[in-house]
Amino acid sequence: MGFGTVLVANRGEIAIRVMRTCRELGIRTVAVHSTADRDSSHVHAADAAVQIGPGAPRKSYLSAPAVVEAALRTGADAVHPGYGFLSEDPDFAEICAENGLTFIGPRPEVLARLGDKAVARSLMTDAGLPVLPGSPGTVDSAAEASDLASRIGYPLIIKAAAGGGGRGMTVVRNASDLLPAYRQTRATAQAVFGDNRVYMERYCDSARHIEVQVLADGHGTVLHLGERDCSVQRRHQKLVEESPGPGLHPQLRSAMARAAVRGARAIGYTGAGTFEFLVHDEGFSFMEMNCRIQVEHPVTEAVYGVDLVAEQIRVASGEALRMSQEDLVPRGVAVECRVNAEDPARDFAPAPGTLAEFVPPGGPFVRVDTHGRAGWKVPPQYDSLLAKVVCWAPERDEALDRMDRALAEFRIAGPGVHTTIPLLREIVADPVFRAGRHITSFLDTRG
Amino acid sequence: MSELTQDSPRAQTDDALAGLDYDNSGLALTDICRSIAEVVRVGPDKPRRVRIALGAASVEVEWDNERAPAAAQAVLGPHGDPGAAGGAGEEVLEGHRECAPLVGTFYAAPSPGAPAFVQPGDHVEEGQQLGIIEAMKLMNPLAATRRGRVVEVLVGDGEPVEYGEPLVLIDPDDTAADGSDEGV
Repeated sequence: MGFGTVLVANRGEIAIRVMRTCRELGIRTVAVHSTADRDSSHVHAADAAVQIGPGAPRKSYLSAPAVVEAALRTGADAVHPGYGFLSEDPDFAEICAENGLTFIGPRPEVLARLGDKAVARSLMTDAGLPVLPGSPGTVDSAAEASDLASRIGYPLIIKAAAGGGGRGMTVVRNASDLLPAYRQTRATAQAVFGDNRVYMERYCDSARHIEVQVLADGHGTVLHLGERDCSVQRRHQKLVEESPGPGLHPQLRSAMARAAVRGARAIGYTGAGTFEFLVHDEGFSFMEMNCRIQVEHPVTEAVYGVDLVAEQIRVASGEALRMSQEDLVPRGVAVECRVNAEDPARDFAPAPGTLAEFVPPGGPFVRVDTHGRAGWKVPPQYDSLLAKVVCWAPERDEALDRMDRALAEFRIAGPGVHTTIPLLREIVADPVFRAGRHITSFLDTRG
Repeated sequence: MSELTQDSPRAQTDDALAGLDYDNSGLALTDICRSIAEVVRVGPDKPRRVRIALGAASVEVEWDNERAPAAAQAVLGPHGDPGAAGGAGEEVLEGHRECAPLVGTFYAAPSPGAPAFVQPGDHVEEGQQLGIIEAMKLMNPLAATRRGRVVEVLVGDGEPVEYGEPLVLIDPDDTAADGSDEGV
């Protein structure tokens, strides 16, 4: 059928990225924005824009009625939610459907099941995916927590069932810390997600975060687009990602890809999705599924030559995927660095300010997705991500050299503006990272 | 303050100065100058030009800013505050703006064909309904947050509105606070 107009229910670089693909597909775009984003780049990138609320995300980008109302009054056929905000909200997907709007993402019931991380864990266990030893469902009492912990063993991790994206988790290293951590995580989960249910799993210190990209249509085709290594994290927040995962055994890679396809098939997934796995001494374990486009999707696009957003849109409009698994052959290595407006000297506190100077890098095989521009004042209400620098090369070392060159080229300056660029350059030069031997604790233990 | 500004210099010319005899013209000039000085002192801006023609006892004061009372035509708001004057200039609509609290469709009347909630010139109380904003099939009443006189309904019936869009202009009874930017 194809869409005439797509409303992008997001801001920042991802909103612009989605609009670019829409434009290439001949689709008119509508931006929504808060009062704080009146002059933001995504507003200028769209064919039309609607101011939907004040600066606080809860009253603007997270307000389903405001977004749907904006879609209805601008004649949108579909809504692309980007990542974060309403992207994995089953209620929002449902409200879209009730109002005759296509939600570009999986069906609401799939979002609801996978959004509950404890349910997702048990669904994937049933589908035959390996999971770490842990609670079969949520842990609803302190007594249950103690009982399970003695069976799981330490270290273990307590996670919010409604959590995700690295938030609402506590690592527990010995029994005496268990109950305080249990209570604390429940309280945090209640405060942040409005849902205090938690579940528990064995925790691996020495693990890699490897995720598999899947793409599924509504006609029974489920494909994978290989994996991404996202082990460079600071407090469970990804900073550097790459595809393919360096040094992964081919058998492990294909076992993970097959597991992801099996999992997606088992739950009737449609659209683009990501299976997050931990790779450890004993193999790999399913952690959670992300039912949206990921921040780090460009590295997959670079090695597979596939526009994932275009595929999301086609699948949502009811089309069948035009490619087969055999068509999907990765080439070379792509690396992404997240340039955040944060101050490493102040414990990575967000450091927004006016971008007096903003000159992104360019040159061969360098892609920069950003909403920054010179003279723009970064609003303090939102995510600190300012730009994603993606470099491709036939070999990993060349891709990293290219990344260092691109990061050195990137000129960002302004009063109070600090970015993660110096840290990213250190990481790219680090011998452990260069050798591909980094694990999830790499940054936190590096000192 | 309002005595001098409320009566325009032209009015003084016509009423007070017309009867002055030429023998007392020196005294008249002193009086006129004092009056002008007072007008300048209490006015919101410095005048651009002051013209005195004593023979016909005429005084003209010109201000640059549209907000200031134009010399002979100064029309003031009900409280003598030139800044809130509805009739000071047609383009300048000052006062308290009731803005859309959410994105939706504005309705000026409770149902099609029914009389509008408010008309220009109506006096409204705080909390009084000014219109409806329909969002997601829900009718959200728009209530006045200030007491005052409706100057203008800025959006047509059935028009889509964005968050923060000014909908109704009110000349508030309480002039102490300038709430013109509230809610945006």
